Amino acid sequence: MMKEFNILITGVGGQGVILMSELLGKASVADKLRVRGSEVLGMAVRGGSVTSIIRIGEDVYGPLIPTGRCHTLVGMEPSETLRNISCLSKSSLVIVNTAVIVPFTVSIDKSKYPSLEQILKQLAKASGKIVQLDAATIAQEAGNRLAANIVMLGALFGTDQLPIKIATIKEAIEERFPAKLAPLNIRAFDLGYDACR
Amino acid sequence: MKRLTISSDAPGQRLFVLGNEAIARGAIEAGVQVAAAYPGTPSSEITETLAGVARELDMYVEWSTNEKVAFEVALAASICGVRAIASMKHVGLNVAHDPLMTANYIGARGGLVLLSADDPWAWSSQNEQDNRYIALQGYIPVLEPSSVQEAKDMMADAFELSERFGQLFMVRSVTRIGHARGDVTLGEISGERRKGQFVKDRTRLVYTPREARINKPLMLERFEKIRGAVDTLRYNQLKLASGAKLGIIACGLSYSYALEAIKWLGLEDKVSILKIGTPHPLPQKLVKELLGSVEEVLVAEELDPFVELHIKAMVGEGNIPVKVHGKDLLPRIGELSTRRLTEAIAKLARVKTPLNFASIDKLEQETAPLLPWRPPALCAGCPHRASHYAIRVASRRVAKEMGRDIEPIYPGDIGCYALAYNPPQEASDTIICMGGSFGIANGLAHVIDTPVVAHLGDSTFFHAGIPPLVNAVYNKANITMVVMDNSATSMTGFQPHPGTGYTAMGEETVRLKAEEIAKACGVEFVEVVDPFELKEATNAIEKAIRFPGPAVVVSRRPCTIIEQREKRKRQEETIPYYVDQEKCGEKCNACIELLGCPAIIKEGVKTVIDSSLCTGCGLCAQVCPYQAIIPEKKQ
Repeated sequence: MMKEFNILITGVGGQGVILMSELLGKASVADKLRVRGSEVLGMAVRGGSVTSIIRIGEDVYGPLIPTGRCHTLVGMEPSETLRNISCLSKSSLVIVNTAVIVPFTVSIDKSKYPSLEQILKQLAKASGKIVQLDAATIAQEAGNRLAANIVMLGALFGTDQLPIKIATIKEAIEERFPAKLAPLNIRAFDLGYDACR
Repeated sequence: MKRLTISSDAPGQRLFVLGNEAIARGAIEAGVQVAAAYPGTPSSEITETLAGVARELDMYVEWSTNEKVAFEVALAASICGVRAIASMKHVGLNVAHDPLMTANYIGARGGLVLLSADDPWAWSSQNEQDNRYIALQGYIPVLEPSSVQEAKDMMADAFELSERFGQLFMVRSVTRIGHARGDVTLGEISGERRKGQFVKDRTRLVYTPREARINKPLMLERFEKIRGAVDTLRYNQLKLASGAKLGIIACGLSYSYALEAIKWLGLEDKVSILKIGTPHPLPQKLVKELLGSVEEVLVAEELDPFVELHIKAMVGEGNIPVKVHGKDLLPRIGELSTRRLTEAIAKLARVKTPLNFASIDKLEQETAPLLPWRPPALCAGCPHRASHYAIRVASRRVAKEMGRDIEPIYPGDIGCYALAYNPPQEASDTIICMGGSFGIANGLAHVIDTPVVAHLGDSTFFHAGIPPLVNAVYNKANITMVVMDNSATSMTGFQPHPGTGYTAMGEETVRLKAEEIAKACGVEFVEVVDPFELKEATNAIEKAIRFPGPAVVVSRRPCTIIEQREKRKRQEETIPYYVDQEKCGEKCNACIELLGCPAIIKEGVKTVIDSSLCTGCGLCAQVCPYQAIIPEKKQ
């Protein structure tokens, strides 16, 4: 039995971050794993940064990932990935979607968006390995750009680290989406999975 | 197999839920029959969950106009012998404080539970108040869960305890309980349904000075009985490590962090730990047992030193030779965490932390200046953006005539429209509490000579906006009150309210209108506008400001999220706008700087509209000085 596996998913409101952790949580329960997690809802998320935490295993008690103890950081947006740098250590893996979402504060000159190189350089200092994906383009290949979050979920499983069975997460995906959209999302998952192998 | 849901009577089965769903499930298992609440983060999902299964489980669930009424609804049910819950965010309890401080004298017939959702770090709140102090003031026993599972279990038990001791109980949740997720093992659902019975009992239910004097001693007696019983409740657990010099007293959620910290430090056999599930009253025997066995203790609790204070009193009173730590090593501000507990325990145990936190902090500090600022913002197509703009233009027009140094004042309120306090709109000069915009405006009118234009939303208007409106009429406050009516309680998840025409349980009902209430309250200037008709809306607000006396403008347009949903249902197409680059004044930036709409972005020097975000509201087209923003043509 896995003792502790910590996943932090981050992005911008509307990218489907919460859905990803819901799927992971349901699949964990189906696989008889202990699971904890947390997110911030309400005022903090309207168009702002979103993070969601999923922790799986027998030694997990709290809803938050202790500093430096994230196993896999899944970033739907580069700068939001960087924002969570303090959860990482040299044994952490980062999977980052390279598509940038520039906040409006940049348009009104109240802040600056760093270059992708700067972001990756900084993340490399904190983590062990970084996998880059263009999730929306891969999702487009599956049939819809909006399935980028499911592509990233597939990539997370492609790392072969998770205690959840592939069949179980696929069942969770199939159950979550209407029958018409399920095959597209399974395709998105598979393409993400392959991209991370 | 039938799919497992929050209302399945499937004891022993496991379900992955949000903490607030677990809390609702606990109430369901206890056979709760009445639930009342006003939405507020992080508590709203409790009552949403209950409302969703109310008919199926034969419960009555309502969104009340405010927390005071919600608490009174639950109290009345309890008086009639029916189990009831009132849920609210921490600051909501301030609104319900008045009935609460006498409800404790009444006690409980039907189990009565008050759910207070505190918000350490004020993620979605105006302050960080610790409601255990309100419980202290009212001799109200408090249960504080350490996990999602325990939140469910405690909730189920709280009703039983409330009836056993004849007193209302508070369950204190925090953001990382209510908005945590986890697997929960379900219990049995009580199918008991009681018929409410009002037994006339003037001594217990009619409060004049006589009854206060009769009932206070009875309340104190009940509290002492509870104090005598909490030591044996399963929520309080003492685990002594033999020969341990250090003890941890961990209240509520802090217990989960303490367990992880002790394990991380490898001190499982060297530290004693007392889990506190009832911070008020404390399990005194267990506390004394721990205090008698160690040299130092660390009290871990979210926010203020509540347990710590009581422990220190016990140590002083009993002359116990033990050093008590707490907020000297742990913060009063924000949330606790495994790391914070690890650092505090490492210091007391004189061991090294398992990670070099300083190097992680250094990297984080080095990273901070690279990060773009991404504050929460009004959605693209939000009607509040238009209302704020109209208020600003109208106020400045009037102020300009009054003199060069005159700056209009904009008292703001709690709700989505508060998000416009950020640049570029900077639309609120004060935000304090529900209804506070109109209240503060009343006071400002008597001490300053500039235009005062206050704004609040429709749900907030019904919650706490009407008394200050009446006050403005009665005391002749020359202010303008704008009700930004988007027909929803949007910030908390679109719950219905008295202005929406339907109830929590989905029943149709009358639809109250702010303009009719304003007129009935004696406001002589009342106008209703559509904020997307920007010119008309601005002119109406200008007239309201010029009107000598209190004036009300209702700026009505449904929330864009709801409107977009409805449009999709009707399969109606959204026609986004685009920027005609030939007409656009590149250096102008008016649309961006005046509106701060997330759909309008810069691509190099070009201003463009993200058609995937644009809802076609047309506000930017109305402010563009070059008429360069136009709707996309249908193909």
